[in-house]
Amino acid sequence: MTERPTRTAGRTRGEIVALAALVVILVGFPAGVLLYQFVVRPAVADVRTIDLLARVPETGGITPETIKVAAGEPVRLRVSVPDVTHGIAIGPGLALDLGHVDPGQVKEVRVTFERPGRYTVYCNVWCSPNHWRMRSTILVYDPARPDAALPSDAPDPVIESLAARHVDLDAPHEAPAVPARPFASERGARVVDRLGPALPADLARPEWRRRHSPAQAWARLVAAGLARDEAWDAVAHLWVGALDGARLEAVATLFRKNCAACHGESGDGRGPGAAALAAQGIGQHGGAAAPKKPAAFTRAGSMLGGTSELYYAKVRRGGMGTGMPSWGPVLTRDETWMLVDYLWTLQFRPARAPRV
Amino acid sequence: MSTQTPLQREPHDRVGAARIELTRSRWLRATLRSRAFQPALMLVMLFFFVAAVLAGLVGTPAGNHNFAIVFVWIVWWALLIVVMVPFFGRMWCTICPIPGPGEWLQRRGVVRRTPGRLRSLGWRWPHRLRNIWLQNAGFLALALFSAIVLTRPDVTAWLLLGMVLLGVVLSVFYDNRVFCRYVCPVGGFIGLYSLTSTIELRVKDTRVCMDHATKDCVIGTPQSYGCPWMVFPGNLGRDAYCGLCTECLKACPKDNIALNLRPFGADLLVAKGRRLDEAYKALIMLSCALLYSAVLLGPWGWIKDWANMATFAGWTTYAAGFLAIAVLGVPGVFWLIALAARTAAGVAVPIRRLFVDLAYSLVPLGLTGWIAFTAGFVLVNGTYAVSVLSDPFGWGWDLFGTRSVPWRPILTEVVTVTQVALLLVGLAYSVVVAYRIARQQTASEAQAWRGTLPVSGFLCAVTLTFLWLYLG
Repeated sequence: MTERPTRTAGRTRGEIVALAALVVILVGFPAGVLLYQFVVRPAVADVRTIDLLARVPETGGITPETIKVAAGEPVRLRVSVPDVTHGIAIGPGLALDLGHVDPGQVKEVRVTFERPGRYTVYCNVWCSPNHWRMRSTILVYDPARPDAALPSDAPDPVIESLAARHVDLDAPHEAPAVPARPFASERGARVVDRLGPALPADLARPEWRRRHSPAQAWARLVAAGLARDEAWDAVAHLWVGALDGARLEAVATLFRKNCAACHGESGDGRGPGAAALAAQGIGQHGGAAAPKKPAAFTRAGSMLGGTSELYYAKVRRGGMGTGMPSWGPVLTRDETWMLVDYLWTLQFRPARAPRV
Repeated sequence: MSTQTPLQREPHDRVGAARIELTRSRWLRATLRSRAFQPALMLVMLFFFVAAVLAGLVGTPAGNHNFAIVFVWIVWWALLIVVMVPFFGRMWCTICPIPGPGEWLQRRGVVRRTPGRLRSLGWRWPHRLRNIWLQNAGFLALALFSAIVLTRPDVTAWLLLGMVLLGVVLSVFYDNRVFCRYVCPVGGFIGLYSLTSTIELRVKDTRVCMDHATKDCVIGTPQSYGCPWMVFPGNLGRDAYCGLCTECLKACPKDNIALNLRPFGADLLVAKGRRLDEAYKALIMLSCALLYSAVLLGPWGWIKDWANMATFAGWTTYAAGFLAIAVLGVPGVFWLIALAARTAAGVAVPIRRLFVDLAYSLVPLGLTGWIAFTAGFVLVNGTYAVSVLSDPFGWGWDLFGTRSVPWRPILTEVVTVTQVALLLVGLAYSVVVAYRIARQQTASEAQAWRGTLPVSGFLCAVTLTFLWLYLG
């Protein structure tokens, strides 16, 4: 008689403990997790954390698509990737590259955007057929003037100039003549030295060379009395002979990460993305019989007829109706010029003989 | 060729008599008899279950960094198939949280023995469904979507929630663990493969049960519920349907229930209770182990695409092929094997009887096949668990400082050797079981050996297929 009340009380206590545990597990635990993640964690963080979810564009791309940050405000960008390996970088001009982010991985970077402007979060690893669409924008505003126009929205003078001259960026620009043998810029250097003051003055000016194509320069040199092959060698020297090796090495990395997927490592237009673009019918427009393929920088006919500023404009604006994305939001103007210089090296210092 | 009638199946079909009664341990007996024993374990598992569901619903969609995928389909699965089932039988059913909510609502309590009957509408489970055919169908249905279920945390979460909901709904209409006994797609194969386990719950003396008028283990007592698995321990000859809930241990006033340690595979030779639905389960499980090995571990990307529902037409083809092999192909071949065994042995046993009995010889090879398949992906992917433990939702947490531990396949140099060894052990054990089952049907050892030959050929072919898949 004395034992039973104790056992009953024990069972009751056990039941109360079990019910309490049940409530904690079913309600308290999930609520606690969500509260910590979405309320407590942001509240106690030393800086604002911005979560970016990076997925292939077919399933959403980088979200959120637009983020607003005040200039001078330190923020933590936390990138998580659910699907395939991406390479996450932010430009222009920040040198902010998080490198590869594997599926399920979470990478963080603490960053302060010092100057107002429009920055782009983008993927630099070929991740899907629509890889090139994978971007989001960070709008960095001046906290003193939050509604002011962003400086990077100012028009690009080179593109403006081309437009003023009614230059059609998308028109074919085939060179009227192409070299019959591989370029030799070292030989071209000797030719230029030999010419001395006889070298047409325009050709020596970098501004002129940016506005004119190698084919135009070649015509001037032939008119000045050079043999056809000698003239091509001299052009090669004038276009790439004075380029800085260290800068080229840096921009080669830029090319490999952002351009090689479609244009190929050697610039022959045969990157793995080229087939994907063709499969999607990208570039099939204007009644063209075949889709427009990624440009081959090793092909002399099309390359030598174009100008540096034309390529600069194409890189920054992107290719209309093609898979070529706009790189203006990603690269600085200086980086773009460096990239154009690098494209010339693919033509004038190719690993293989130039394709005609 | 002379024909023989089947021999009388006797209880001594059970392999040997070697048993160690674990419940002689006063501590263990007291623990198992405690009302808190099962609920405490279920609550612990419920915590992990809720974590898995939460991670699946709101965590990272990347399966390899989500608790729902890593801890359900890698950690839990590996523990279940490698440790729990072979050594502890239905021990998982003891601690499984899925039937918990339904059972607790029905009992109006978690721990205590609530006075009165269970709260349900008291419907009777249809007699035609008192078997594991529903579980067979459920397992196959899951298998068809396995490539999605095993990789997508949200799908896993909804599946787990769906199972809980189904358990609750069934508990509204039916008394006891109808869900576990007749519906749970996992419970079906756990029951079959538990025939191999080294643990059993049995009565010490069947005569005590026969003479006991009140059958407290079935109807319950003020301290315990009647068997939720609707099993009479006095008749219990196999582990297939005992959920090790230990209610009978609490109920028995005669102290006649024991938990025993026994030889591996003892129940496979228990002839009483062999059924077509279980035989089919053995064949389905063996087929699925082969098919999973081919689809999930094999080099054929196009099959993976089909299984991943890349296109509806592809998945339909995959599903049709999967079902054709698992439901018709392999069982059809085994039917012919049973026919050949009968002819070779020269016995007059009905072919259906022989098909059913011999199918139990597939259990050891099926189990080792599943363990080999599991070893293939657990040793490769297991280290994800280390980082997921610290960051279960993929939100960048670092609870235990292991978030950044990189994924690294372990013991890859021994994976293949282990798989081969497991398969050979399974093959040998299956052949022995096939012989001993054949011996139950034949008058002489020579007949039994002849009857075993076709089955052994089938087992060897299956083993070679496994080896081909694993060795390339």
